[in-house]
Amino acid sequence: MRRGSIVQLVLLGVLFGGGAAAVALLIPWLPDPASEQADRIDFVFWFVTTICIAIFALVAAVIVYSLLKFRARPDDDSDGPPTHGHTGLEIVWTAVPAVLVTAISIVSAVVLARNDHLPQASAAGARDPLKPLIVKVTAQQFAWLFTYPAYGNATSSTLRLPLHVPVDLKLKSLDVIHSFWVPEFGQKQDAVPGLDTHVVVTPKRLGTFPVICTELCGLGHAVMRSWTTVMPRADFLTWANKQKSAAGGGASGSATASGKTVFVNNGCNGCHTFEPAGASGTVGPDLDKLPALARKAGKPLDAFIRQSIVDPSAYVEPGYPNAMPGTFASLPKEQLDALVKYLSGGKG
Amino acid sequence: MTETVVGFHEHEAQAEHAPPAPPPRGLRRLLAPGWLRALWMTPLFFGIGAGLVVLIRWLEGWHPIWDGSVITTVELTTLPLGFLAGIGGFDYWVRYASGAPTRPEDHSGHGARSWRDYFRINTDHKVIGIQYLVTTIVFFVIAGLLAMFMRAELARPGMQFVDNQTFNGLFSVHAALMIFLFVIPAFAGIGNYVIPLMLGAPDMAFPRLNALSFWLLPIAGIMMVSSFLVPGGPFAAGWTNYATLSVHQPLGNTFFSMAVQWAGASSIMTALNFLVTIITMRAPGMTFWRMPLLVWANFTTSLLVVIATPFIAGSQFFVMFDRVMHTHFFDWTAGGYPLGYQHIFWFYSHPAVYIMMLPGFGIASEVISVMARKPIFGYRLMAVSLMAILILGFSVWAHHMFVAGMAPWLRVPMMVTSMVIAVPTGIKVFSWLATLWEGRIHFYTPMLFALGFVSMFVIGGLSGIYLAAVPIDIHTSDTYFVVAHIHYVLFGGSLFTIFAGIYFWFPKMTGKMYDERLGKLHFWLTFVGFNLTFFPMHWLGIQGMPRRVADYAPRFADLNLFISLASFGLGASTLVFLYNMVKSWRFGPTAPANPWRSMTLEWQVSSPPPVFNFDEIPQVVGTPYEYGVPGARHGVFNGERVHEQEQVPVP
Repeated sequence: MRRGSIVQLVLLGVLFGGGAAAVALLIPWLPDPASEQADRIDFVFWFVTTICIAIFALVAAVIVYSLLKFRARPDDDSDGPPTHGHTGLEIVWTAVPAVLVTAISIVSAVVLARNDHLPQASAAGARDPLKPLIVKVTAQQFAWLFTYPAYGNATSSTLRLPLHVPVDLKLKSLDVIHSFWVPEFGQKQDAVPGLDTHVVVTPKRLGTFPVICTELCGLGHAVMRSWTTVMPRADFLTWANKQKSAAGGGASGSATASGKTVFVNNGCNGCHTFEPAGASGTVGPDLDKLPALARKAGKPLDAFIRQSIVDPSAYVEPGYPNAMPGTFASLPKEQLDALVKYLSGGKG
Repeated sequence: MTETVVGFHEHEAQAEHAPPAPPPRGLRRLLAPGWLRALWMTPLFFGIGAGLVVLIRWLEGWHPIWDGSVITTVELTTLPLGFLAGIGGFDYWVRYASGAPTRPEDHSGHGARSWRDYFRINTDHKVIGIQYLVTTIVFFVIAGLLAMFMRAELARPGMQFVDNQTFNGLFSVHAALMIFLFVIPAFAGIGNYVIPLMLGAPDMAFPRLNALSFWLLPIAGIMMVSSFLVPGGPFAAGWTNYATLSVHQPLGNTFFSMAVQWAGASSIMTALNFLVTIITMRAPGMTFWRMPLLVWANFTTSLLVVIATPFIAGSQFFVMFDRVMHTHFFDWTAGGYPLGYQHIFWFYSHPAVYIMMLPGFGIASEVISVMARKPIFGYRLMAVSLMAILILGFSVWAHHMFVAGMAPWLRVPMMVTSMVIAVPTGIKVFSWLATLWEGRIHFYTPMLFALGFVSMFVIGGLSGIYLAAVPIDIHTSDTYFVVAHIHYVLFGGSLFTIFAGIYFWFPKMTGKMYDERLGKLHFWLTFVGFNLTFFPMHWLGIQGMPRRVADYAPRFADLNLFISLASFGLGASTLVFLYNMVKSWRFGPTAPANPWRSMTLEWQVSSPPPVFNFDEIPQVVGTPYEYGVPGARHGVFNGERVHEQEQVPVP
């Protein structure tokens, strides 16, 4: 190779490397991280990106240089030099990528181990109720429910988390496979029926972020979203204790279970429209029209609602898929009663 | 080897001199294999299937006795059998097995004299290759249209044109058709046409099996498309059909489970055929180290197919049994194991990625070497790296399951093996680049697509590194980042090489030249449209847009609109391709035998080749890529046989 061509090749490489680096740096690729885990994931991301930019620049420079320099004229019938290979070069491009992917693997494995790590309550912090915080995440078609075992099993349809506290999210699914993801946390984990899975998140930034289901789970998959709010520690404790007393009251006198709470906690709003609950789902029938639907089915309103919850396949409104999960048959009787009452128009 | 050769020459002589059997007349026409017999045997087998169901249900006292969904499930096996029996797919074997005298082979089912010969059981690998390619392009267009509907729905957030079940069906059928009815069989089609010619063989090893494996394909495709017509809509659990969702899907899901069986059987039979052909039917002198890299690629691909495909067949049978027979393979309440599905499924479906990629590597090697007028750089390492990918490909399946809830310790080993696959893949890319270096590069359309493939595949490969790194994968899995990645690999990789292959061998297959200007236009529209469509998806995924959703957060609206518009342009570029193919096939200028001045054997015979490929058996004397080596030959024919000493030493 002549020196001139080496210079040109290097220039092209710098050009493409610079271009790729500009694309990588000028576009905000990553969500603004809101957890310590996301910070570490971002580190791996940039580590890989640096290597990828170098490889991309090399390949692009060689291709473009070849296209410009080795283009044959249409009437050129000659052949190129009969180079069959070059052992040294072949060893280099086997060994260098091997080293690079080994480096990426090591960095990834270290970060993975740290992201999975759940700091246990030390002896000193044993009394701290927040270290670590356990939240049970229940996924079902098509809603999330978050339960706080340390606070009387208080439940919420949005995930509230204290700042700077490691949280162990214990996932379970009631029907099909779902996947819990908060892009700003960087962490994701499938909820598999019959399997206990978990994921660790340590929020580091206040704010409200989307919770998204990323595993195709049926008709309402796209709308299986919720929110997570990271709160200051004190605010969280205030909120959680309030929930605890409310839940405690509910547990002792469940007759007072609010129909609206049952409606929201079971994710009915994911699929149905129901104005009193502010729900606007369109997967299933519009529940504001329940009396008309019951008349069409030829059943008394209350019995119709109850049957449709417990055994949804018994009667399916024409034009809608037979897609409602059968899991609601297991609702406690008080909750079911409250829900039926709420939906039939009585104040639950 | 020589015996086979002599035998085939005798047959050929017969075929030339014996008058073809007179066409049957009157009622006998109903009994002769063909569409007429299929027309009555298909309903007959429908009756048999329905009758069996009714009889069993009546004997067991199950009500209702006539159950549409059960009958449909059974008919997905019996109807195609009736059609295949009618059209003549089993005639020879049925006669043989039942002790009836088999018809002496008169080669009336070989070669194509009119367009009608493409619409019947034909045992000529060249006819079958074209049958494959035309059929797969039909399904490619259908699957592409489904993608256009999908992008129309995704142009705005919220729901506009279709409901959720239909949308889920759109992307499921789109992916299933593209994978099982386009990419995999299109490579099988190109291989079918080219491999025997490259080997110097008169045909594939098992021509009747070859014919049968083609006719399974339209059955699988029609089954997938017709699932749109059944109550409850098409299969809508993704092409991955994950349990437990798939177990609770409407009837359409069975159409996926069964279509995969038919397409998979077709794949396996073709792969066996390739293996036996490559191992036993190489021309004299064609050692393994003298085989063109496309042959190597098909050899490794076929090994992958025969080993891996039974796993997806199993996974789909399990799902279907859970749905239809109420078994509990994946029902956790009865001791089933939902993750088991994913392990079995990906044990096929990751190797399937290489099934969809290795033949493309082969095509790229052929095109780049010929059009850069240089020997392929590091030929042996290129072949060895194919074998390395074959072996490593079986050790990486669980990288699709980093967030699935499998044993946590399994993640790091699977990451390491996935990373290691980058090494042989990198060897191939660098070797293609080194082949270009100091070449005399001719930018014909196949070369544009081959270079487009190398550059796009590099991007797809690099995004694969991100996905192999577990922490990044945890963030990006099941998002649009994955959608972008697989399209850079399967569109920028597989589809570009399929286009390269079609343009490259178009003169050989049709005897006509394609329109070079339209070909270049097609490439640039596809290349630009492809990047505008799929590159922004990386950003969407990292930022938080999950895949397989009809509705998404409003902040992604503008970019999705942009992607949809770009995708419509990308879709329209296919029209240029179709127009070029149809126009050139009918009206194109006659192609010379060897328009690319290639050394491989298929270019040493006329375009299109004679019915039995070679009028005399070639003698292979050197490696296939000796461009620039003075006096080097790959194959010579009897009249000009050279001595072995003259061959060019293998590097």
